[in-house]
Amino acid sequence: MKKRKLLILFAMLLCLLPLSAMASTLPPIISTEETAAALSNQDLIILDIRKIEEYKAGHIPGAISMFYGNLAIKRGDSDNELTPDDELVDLLGSAGIKPESTIIVYGKTDTPADRVNITRVAWTLKYAGVAKVSVMNGGFEKWSIREKRAVSADMAKPKAVSYKGKFNKAIFVNKDYVKNSLNKTLIVDVREPDFFEGKQKLPMVAKMGRIAGAVNLPSIQVFEKYPPGDHMETCCWTFKDTETLKNMATGVVGVETNREIIVYCDTGRVASTWWFILAEVLGYKNVKLYDGSMQEWTKDDSAPMLP
Amino acid sequence: MYKGYLVDQTLLDTDPHFAMGCEGCHKGNLEGATREEAHQGLVKRPSDNLQTCATCHQKITSTYEKALHYTSAGQRHGVMKRFSETELKQFDEKIFEQSCRSCHASCGSCHVKAAAVGGISIGLIKGHKFIKKDEGKTCAFCHGGRVYPEYTGEYGGKPDVHYQKGMLCMDCHQKSDMHGDGNTYLSKQDVKDRPVCTNCHNKLGQEARLTTRTAHTQHRDKVTCYGCHASAEYRNCYNCHKESESKPGFILGLNPRDGKTLTTLRVIPTVRDTFAAAGVTMSHFDALPNYWNTPAHNIRKRTDRTRSCDACHTDKAGFLTKEALIENGSKANERLIYPINPIPITE
Repeated sequence: MKKRKLLILFAMLLCLLPLSAMASTLPPIISTEETAAALSNQDLIILDIRKIEEYKAGHIPGAISMFYGNLAIKRGDSDNELTPDDELVDLLGSAGIKPESTIIVYGKTDTPADRVNITRVAWTLKYAGVAKVSVMNGGFEKWSIREKRAVSADMAKPKAVSYKGKFNKAIFVNKDYVKNSLNKTLIVDVREPDFFEGKQKLPMVAKMGRIAGAVNLPSIQVFEKYPPGDHMETCCWTFKDTETLKNMATGVVGVETNREIIVYCDTGRVASTWWFILAEVLGYKNVKLYDGSMQEWTKDDSAPMLP
Repeated sequence: MYKGYLVDQTLLDTDPHFAMGCEGCHKGNLEGATREEAHQGLVKRPSDNLQTCATCHQKITSTYEKALHYTSAGQRHGVMKRFSETELKQFDEKIFEQSCRSCHASCGSCHVKAAAVGGISIGLIKGHKFIKKDEGKTCAFCHGGRVYPEYTGEYGGKPDVHYQKGMLCMDCHQKSDMHGDGNTYLSKQDVKDRPVCTNCHNKLGQEARLTTRTAHTQHRDKVTCYGCHASAEYRNCYNCHKESESKPGFILGLNPRDGKTLTTLRVIPTVRDTFAAAGVTMSHFDALPNYWNTPAHNIRKRTDRTRSCDACHTDKAGFLTKEALIENGSKANERLIYPINPIPITE
C-alpha cells in the first residue's frame, strides 16, 4: 500500500515537472512526429533556416525565421565563415534565444547543400553556447508535402532578449591549430573519396589533395532518400539510422570517444554533418570543426598536404 | 479548335482574368485547328498595350504609363548629358528606342511572366496565375543581377538586416514606386516620396549608447546611412565582366549628385565606346562620372565601420582613390575622391 502511494506521488511529481524539463530530453536528430508533439512546449524555439520568401509562404506553426545566410557569411575569399560574435549575439537575442533554450532547427533537404546547412546552423548555435539543439529529420518537405502537417504563413515575432550565452569556442579551430595538431589529433576529411584522394577539387579550392594525415569519412553517405526503397517518389532526405551512422563512424574514427577529432571539408559547411553526428548523436566528447577547411588550407604553401 | 496550350482548369474557372478566354488578351484565331492557324494575329505580350489592362485597371494603368518602370526614362536621363544634341538624337533613335525601351516592364512582366532580360525569360511566374506580388520573383526577375541577391546575401556576404527581419521589397517600397504617382519623372532621383531610412529610424542621435549617439550626430547629413551600414562588397559590372582582379567591390566616395555627401558608389557600365557599335559617339563623355551613388541593399547594424572609427579615419578602407579609378574612365571620376582625414585629437 505504501509502495502504491509512493508511485502515485511520483506520478504527480512528474506531472508537475516544468515542460522545459521534458524539452531537455529531445533527441539530437528529432523526427517530425516528435517535433509535432513538442509544439505545445512553451520553452521550445523552432528555427526555420530557409529563405524568407519560403518561410513566408508557409512554415511550421510558431517557427522563427533564421535564414542560414545570417549565420554563415562570406569573409574575404572564404565562404561559410562564422558570423562575428557580436552579430551572433544580436541574432540569437532578436530570436528570443537564451543559452538554456531548447531549439529545433529545420530547413530543406532538396540538395546536399540544403541538408548540411541544417547541421551547420546547429553547430553555430552550439558554438554560441546554446545547450540543447536538435535538427528535424527530413526537413520541411517531409513535414508539409509528405505528411501534410499544419503550416502557418504568419510571421512569428519573438520577444527579443539579451543573449548572454558563454561561447563554446573549443569546437571551432583555425588553421594554426590544425597545423599544430598534425600527427597528434585525428583529422577527418568528410569530402567524397575523389576529393580526399586528390583526383578532384572544387573551383574555390586552390589545390587538389587533403590535409596530411587525414582519414576519410564522407558526409554524402550520411543521408538517404525518404521514403526508402526503389521508387520514383522524391519527398526528402533523412539521416540514416543511428546504428548505421555509428558503424560508419567507428570504422574510421574508432570507438574511443575522448580523443580529439577535427573535421573539415572544403568550406566548413559540409563538415558540420559529421561534427553533429559524432558530437551530438554518438557521444564523442572532443570534436572540433576547422571552419577555414580546404579553401583556406590550400592557399598556404606551408600547410602539409597529401598526396 | 487548337488545344496545344492548357492553363490549369481551376485557374480558368476561378480567376476573372480568364473570363474573356485566352483570346480576350492574346487575340489569335479561335477557329484555327493547328498551332500555326491558331496563332495568326497572336499578341504575345498583351499588356505591352496598357489599354488591355486598362479595361479593368484604369486607375493603375493611367499612372503606370508615366511611371519610370514603364517609360525607362531613367536610363536615358542617366546618360544623356554625355551626348551632343545631334548625338542624343542618334542615341534616342538607335539605342534608346531599340534597346533601353525593350527593358520597360509591361504589367505582365511583374504579374504574369518574367520579362526577358538580355533576351532570356524564365517564363511564367506561377502557371499563368496573375500574381499580385511575389518579390522573390516579381522584383528579382529584373533586379536579380545586383540588388536582390545583395539583399538576400546570395552573393556570399551577409543578408540585409531587413531581410533577416522578414522584410521584402514592398515593406519599404510603395506601390507608387512601381505604378507611378501620375507625374512624369526623368529619373528616380526626382521622385520625392521614395523610401528613406529615417522614415522608420527616426530617432537618430537619441540613442542610449554614447558611441552610437555620437556617431549618428557627427555624421548626419555628411555620410549616408549606406556609407557606414552597407555591410559587404556589392556587385559592380566588372564583378562579372572582369577586366581586372584588383578592383574593389565596395566603394566609398562623394555622391556625384550633390558633390558633398560621402556614400557608397557603384560603377556604371557606360564606357567611352559603349555605343560605338551603333555608330553613336559621346562627345561629352567626361560630363558625367563612371560612378553613381548607390543604395547598397546589404545593410547591417554592425559593420567594420560601425565597430571602429579607424576603419575609415585611419585605414581608409573602401575609399575611392586615384589608383583605384577605372582605366580610361571619365575625368569627372576624380571629383568623387573623398579626402578622409584622421579624427583630430583634442585636449
